[in-house]
Formats: sequence, structure tokens, C-alpha cells
Amino acid sequence: MKHKEWMARLFVLSLLALALGAPLIGWRQQAQNGVLLRGRMAETGGWTPENLSVAVGETLYLRLTSDDVLHSFAIGRSDMPPVDILPGEITELNLVFDQPGKYTFYCTRWCSINHWRMRGVIEVVGAGQPGAALESPLYVRLGIDLDSTVHTALTPEEKPAAWRGQEYTRLLPAAALGSEVYLTQAPVDYWQALRSTTALAHLTDQQVWDLAAWVWASNTAPQELEEGQQLYAVNCAACHGESGGGDGVFAAQLDQADPGEHTMTIPGGAPDAMPSAISGVRTTRPTDFTNPAYMLALSSARLQGKILRGGMGTGMPYWGPIFTESQTWALIAYLWTFQFDLGEKP
Amino acid sequence: MNQVNLEGITEIARQSQQALVEHRQAVPAPAMAQSRFAGNSTQASPANRFNLARQAWLRPLLISRWPQFLARALALAGFAFAILAGLFGSPVGSHNFAIVFVWIAWWSVFKLAFIPLGGRSWCSVCPIPMPGDWLQQGGILQKGRRLGLNLRWPKRLKGYWLQTGAFLLIGLFSALTLTDPRLTAWVFIGLFGLAIGLSLVFERRAFCSYLCPIGGFSGIYAQAAPLEVRVIDRSVCAQHSQKTCYQACPWGLYPVALRDSAACGLCMECLRACPEDNLALNLRPFGADIARPRTTQRLDEAFLALTMLGSALSFAAVFSGPWGWLKLAAFQIGSLEWVGYAAAFLALNLLILPGAFALAAWFGRGGAPLRSAFANQAQALLPLGLMAWIAFTISFALPKAGYILGVMNDPMGWGWNLLGAGYAPWSPDVSDFSPLLQAGLLLIGLFWSAQTAQRAAGNDLRRSAPVAVFCLAFTLAMLALLVG
Amino acid sequence: MKNRYWIVWMAVALLVMFAPLPTRAAPPQERFYRVEASQFEYRPAILKANPGDRVTIELAALDVVHGLAIDGYNLETTAEPGQPARLTFTADRSGAFRLRCTMTCGNLHPFMIGKLNVGDNQLLWRASGLAFLAALAGAASRPGREGLASILQAWRRQR
Repeated sequence: MKHKEWMARLFVLSLLALALGAPLIGWRQQAQNGVLLRGRMAETGGWTPENLSVAVGETLYLRLTSDDVLHSFAIGRSDMPPVDILPGEITELNLVFDQPGKYTFYCTRWCSINHWRMRGVIEVVGAGQPGAALESPLYVRLGIDLDSTVHTALTPEEKPAAWRGQEYTRLLPAAALGSEVYLTQAPVDYWQALRSTTALAHLTDQQVWDLAAWVWASNTAPQELEEGQQLYAVNCAACHGESGGGDGVFAAQLDQADPGEHTMTIPGGAPDAMPSAISGVRTTRPTDFTNPAYMLALSSARLQGKILRGGMGTGMPYWGPIFTESQTWALIAYLWTFQFDLGEKP
Repeated sequence: MNQVNLEGITEIARQSQQALVEHRQAVPAPAMAQSRFAGNSTQASPANRFNLARQAWLRPLLISRWPQFLARALALAGFAFAILAGLFGSPVGSHNFAIVFVWIAWWSVFKLAFIPLGGRSWCSVCPIPMPGDWLQQGGILQKGRRLGLNLRWPKRLKGYWLQTGAFLLIGLFSALTLTDPRLTAWVFIGLFGLAIGLSLVFERRAFCSYLCPIGGFSGIYAQAAPLEVRVIDRSVCAQHSQKTCYQACPWGLYPVALRDSAACGLCMECLRACPEDNLALNLRPFGADIARPRTTQRLDEAFLALTMLGSALSFAAVFSGPWGWLKLAAFQIGSLEWVGYAAAFLALNLLILPGAFALAAWFGRGGAPLRSAFANQAQALLPLGLMAWIAFTISFALPKAGYILGVMNDPMGWGWNLLGAGYAPWSPDVSDFSPLLQAGLLLIGLFWSAQTAQRAAGNDLRRSAPVAVFCLAFTLAMLALLVG
Repeated sequence: MKNRYWIVWMAVALLVMFAPLPTRAAPPQERFYRVEASQFEYRPAILKANPGDRVTIELAALDVVHGLAIDGYNLETTAEPGQPARLTFTADRSGAFRLRCTMTCGNLHPFMIGKLNVGDNQLLWRASGLAFLAALAGAASRPGREGLASILQAWRRQR
């Protein structure tokens, strides 16, 4: 009888030890297999940890998981395809960096209005050429004040079409062509310049707009527009709307967007901080890209600045650490399709 | 209902006599004669009982404490693991052992198998009172130095009132408890803690008998289940002065006085203790305890039965309905919406349903006082309530059965792959048969309830009809929620 | 139920279960639904179609990534805010079918539910009819050897 009781006690204790010990052993083993990177909505914590470091040439073993909804892991300014992170599941990812520097990792799946704040930094240390120093962006070189108000009353009667403008291209002066115009001039300024050109005096206002559209089209490539459309759908449409009208699914919640300061150093420019303090006013709706009175008064360079720096007193993200140079220009090219018909004759 | 908890040995004697008198009245004369004189005592049990304890293959398993002990020890380890997973595993419920095993696997099996087939059979393997039991009796299998104050449970707190309250409390927080691993873990830590604490203060299984909401749930429906522990021949007990069965019963029950199975945890201690081998584990017809007129004045069982109906209705609306605002109101605990949900939930369970049922009982009281008509007719709510819970369980657990495989593969949500390469996520499409099954179960419950109402009303259709109408209205509402 | 009329009860029950109901034959049409998914609901939550209709559902997520699967239709898609997704199918099965979210979207994700009603919900109507019958039959039943009792008894006698 006595030893039966001891057997029973031993049995209970060993079962409990098994139940409680197995997870402990599993946990310890996994801790050796890499860094656990947890994703959560920005409102409840974002990434944990937010800062990672690894030496050049060494493998960073990541075990990605989400505590709430679908997130995704990507590294800014790289061509690494994003990796989805499913809630309650583990996705393993091994990264090797060739060059030292600071890399931004971020979530690519919309997971709340403040989704873009799910960002972290991987610091890659060690010998080697640091990545080529970032060039000062065009808008900084041009000294554009991103927060000045832009507006024009000179708008076309209908959406200018490149294919209609093609007819008059032979009339264009040579100086009116080239990427310089496309990058630095607002369409309305360009239109006014053309309007005052005597060679085009016989054209109607709309025909001059069509001509401007053709010049814009000649500076964009179809595959660039395709890439821009893709980037727009993934990163912009949730607020700015699938058709660019500023009516995305988050537009109505913009007041819940966190306008909190974000400090980002723009190479060659002054550190831009606290965008809400810059404008002083909280915008209540995202920019409507289909509004010609606003868009036609912007240059591509100004758009670049707005994309890279973000802010504007709204929850507009800053994309500087995320987009590559060519991605930014592809996106800008796509934005022009909301004003200009850049395609072939239908 | 007759919940037997004896205050002292004199009361035992009194009840035993009373039981004997009732027994004489209940059993027709020829059978009585047999039971008085025949040596073979089995003949004294009603004819439609089948004593499983007499089966040669089963008897050793019932008499030995080991099989039950092993099952409980395994369940204890399972719950300990669930608590650990709940606390430290992934916070995503569908990938956490605590949520999936407790609320999808165990909670479903409990309602689909343990209760309808075995009444309180879960209590016989439940690990929650285990640690307290051992402290109380000073050993697992063997009795040693006892710990605890061993006080008697206050008389005022007897009955189902506390359990009804505990169930309502869980209902108020269900949307979070059901989906949040951390909270689930804390609920079970709380249940274990309460059980241990109460067993150190009070005698026997105070927690299980008066506080455990799961015990209350299975207790009232145990009356409809086809399993019972009963005395074989009461005259044998009448001549036995030791009452070893009462001494042995962890639930403080005296088997001779058992009139229904609501409070019996099927632990078999009385079978083991009886020197005359005068106890049976009977298979019996469904609903054996409920289809008869009663003269009780107690309202606690009626309120628990109504709460079960009300919570089945609310949970079906919250969890299986298409109303997102309702889900959010139930989920955002502390918000204004949640206060509204809580008020509506409590009003439904404590005012609206009892009010409607009181109206039905009043129409069908047939000269009896409303209070006793209410208490008597409430037994008709049991079959329907049980079936409504089963139907609701099927509606949400069957489509999510794939989660079970998932957490077997990776219980903590830490990326384990215990099932190896053979594991593939599985999400069954049960839409072909699940609604049919739910509708069928509700209809069976309604028929059974209407029949019970008729028996409880002494086969007087004028008295049972209002309750049948109440049950019909409830069934139509459940049908609309589950298969509409 | 030891009732001489049980054959009548059964006949009526079978009638309620299987009697053909008049169906309103509507010519098939195109239907378009934009369903907005947010934690934890679809809006609209209840979609209606007639049997044979060509149904297109545009799923638009409003907060996080949501999915949509329709019970019994073997269809599934997911949508992210800003990137709606479409499902097009012929509503060739009648009845009420649950829409369920297929991408974990928060605590109550397993309970994120909508409905697709194709034609009449015959199960609901027939079950409701049977409910009246069951209540009546139960209340009208006379005492006798009920349930499994007789079976058990027979088994006992055999042994």
C-alpha cells in the first residue's frame, strides 16, 4: 500500500514535469536557432525587437512571427521580395549583408492606419565599403519648400491625352523636350511656357495641354508605369484610393493616424522633424491625385520630396528609407496617370 | 431539486427512512414483494436499468482506483500544459494549445459526449479538484494526515445560485475568454486555486458542488443522461448501520437518498466502500430523472436551466451570427458597448426568459402556486437546453476542427513541427451536414422537452401546453440563429 | 411514444420534410456585391441571390488583411486595404451558406461570419414546420415505455 502511494505520487510528478518541462526545453533549443522577431500592430508595439545587429558576411537567422494579424517583412531600398508573417506561425528567414550600414526593415501588409510605423533597423557592422553614400535628392538640390501651398486655376477642360498631343510634337521647340522639364517643372508652368510660344499660338488651350501630356508620356516607360501602379496599390491606395481620389478605405480614419514626430535625415537637407508642427494644421483627408488644381501645380521633384519625407501634418509615411530611387520615380510616373492619359490611342 | 447534503447522522437516518417510504410508494406491489424477500437484490432496481458494475470486464476497472487516477493524472498534466501554453505560447488563439484544446476540443467533447452520455462523467476524471483532494485526505490513493479546516458549507450558499452566477460571469467575458490564451490560462489558474483554497477550508468537494460553473452545467443535464449510480436494494441499506458509502463519498452524498444524478460525480467511491456490494452503475433511459411531477419549491435549478437557455441563445447570436457590432460589444470589455451587452445579457437571462417562462408556468399552473409550477415545469427546459448547447457547439466547433490538428503539430505557436512532414493544414467544409445536424438536434430536444413538460404536468395537456409553446419559441429562435 | 397515431405523426413529418415547395422561378441575373470586411464583420453581412444567378463579390478590406470563403462553394480569396479582390461564381446551390474569414484578423477572427442566401432557405422553413409538429407530438404523447428503455430491457432479458 505504501509503495503504491509513492508510485502514484511519482507518476503525477513525472507527468507534470513532462508537461511543464517539454516547452522549456523546446524554448531553449529554439533560442539558439536565431532571433525571434515579433510583429504587432504599430498601436500595440510594432516590432519586437526594433533594433537588430549583425556583422558583415555573417548570417542573421530570423524567426518571424505575428501576434495579431497578417504582417510581412521586407528590407527597404533592396530588391528582397517581402516575406509574409502569419499570425501564430513561425517563418524562418536567413539574411546576409555584404555591406555595413543601417538597413530599415518594415511591414508591407496594411495592418492598421499606422501600419507604416512598423519599422525597425538592422545595423550591419564590420569592415567593408559602406553602401554608396546617398545622393542628395533632387527636391533638396532644387531647394523646394515642400510645405508651401500650391494651387492653380489654369486647368484643362478634359483630361489631357498624350496620343492627341502627338500630332503637334513637330511644333515643339527643342528646349521644351527632355527629362529636365519633366522632373523640375510643374505642368501648369510648362503649359504656360508653351502657351507663350509663338509656334504654338494657333493651338487651343486643350491642344497645348495634350502636348504637355505627350511630353510627360515621353518621359515615362510602360514598364515604369506598371511598377509604379504596383507600388501604388500596395503602399498608397489604402489612403489615397484605388483611383487616386483621396478616398481610400482609411481616408475616413485619418484623424486616428498618428502624426507624431518622425525624424529623418535627408542627405544634403536640414533634418526634417515633427511634420505636424510644420504645417500646424491636421489635414483631414489624403491628397486627391485626380484634382488638377493641385496636381498640375506640382513638379515631379516636389512629389519626390513629399514621398521621401512624408509628414505634411498627416499620417503620411516617409518613404525615404524604403523606396529605391527608381521605385520613387516609377511611382511618380504612375501618379501622373491620374492627370494625364499617358497611353496609346484607344 | 433534491440535493442531498446531510448535516448529521440523525438526518441520514431520517432521509433513509423517507427514501424507503418513497420507494415503497414508487414501486408496484409485486416488485416490492420481491425486493423484500428475494435474495437476489438486482430485482429491486427498476426494470429498465442495466448494471454496468456487474459486467465482468468493466467491474475491475471501476473498483480499482488506478484507471481513474491515471486518467485524472493525464488530464492534470494536460491542463498544466494548457495553462503554460496559454501564458507563454503565441497570443494568437487559433494557434495556441490553451484556446484550441480547452475551448474547441475539450469543451466540445464535454458537451457532445461526456454530458449527454455520462452526465457528470467528466467530474470523475476532472483534474481541477485533484490537488485539493490530496491535501484534504493526505494522500493520492491512501489516506494520511489531513489538512484543512474541514468546515461545513454554509447552508445559505447551497444550491445552484452561485454556479448560476459563475456561469453568467463567464458569459459576460466569454468573447475574450474564448479567444485570449492568457485569459484562458488565468481562468483555469483561478479555478484550480479556488478549488484548492475551498478544499482547505470546507469539507469534501465544496468547490465542485456549489461553485464550479462546469459542474452546475453538467449537473442539471446529468438528470437527462443515461448513467446513474444508485443503491440496488434499499432494504439492505436499511439494515446497515455504518453508512460506509456516505463516509466515502467525496461529494457528501448519501446514495440511498439519491433521487437524481445532479450532484453525483460518478467517482465510484461508494461502490468501492459498500461491504454488501449493494451499489450499481446503471445504464438507464435518457431523461430518467426528469419526466415526473415534482413538488419542489426550489427555484435555483429553474434559474440555472433558464440561464443555460439564455446563454445558448446569446452565444449563438454573438459567435455564430453575422453582427459585427455585437461581437465587438461583447469583446471590448469595459467599453460602453460592452456595458450594453452585459446589461442585455443579464436582462435576457434573469428577466426576459424567466419572465416569459413564469408566464407559461402561470398559464399552466393548474391550481398549484406559481412558484411550485415554475420549479416543476423547469425540468422540461433541460432536454432542450442540452440539445441547444450541443447544436451551438457543432455550429462553431465543427468548421474549426482543423485547428486541433494545427495545435497538435505546434501547441505553443513557436514553430514546432511535432507531426513532421505528414502535417498539412486542414479546414473541413462541414456545410453539407452541419446545419442539418443542428436542426435535427434542436428538434429532438424540443420533442423531448414537450414530452417532459407533459409528464411534469401529470399528462395534462392544458397545463403543459404553455411550456411547450415557450420551448417552441426558443427552438424557432435558435433555428433562425444557427441555420437561418 | 406509444401512440396509436404515430403513423400519422410520421406521415405528416415526412410531408413537412420532403413535400416540394413552390419555387419562384426568376430568370438568372448578374449580381454585384461590394463587401467591406473589417474586424470582425462583413458589410453587408447578408447577401442574397436567386439560384442560377451569376454573383460577383468584390471584397474590400478596411483595416487589416481579411479573407472570404463561402461554405459549400469551395471559393476563397483575400483582400488587403487598398487592394480589393473579386470572386465570381454561379449560385448553383440553394440554401443559406456562411461566409467565413480565412485570414487571422484578430481575436474574434474565427467568429467573423456573413451569409449568402441562395433562393429560399428550405432547411429553416422545414425545420420550423417540424418544430411545431415536434412540440405538438411531445406534448400530446402518452406515458409508456419511452426512449431506450424498451431496448435496454430487451437486452437485459436476452442476457
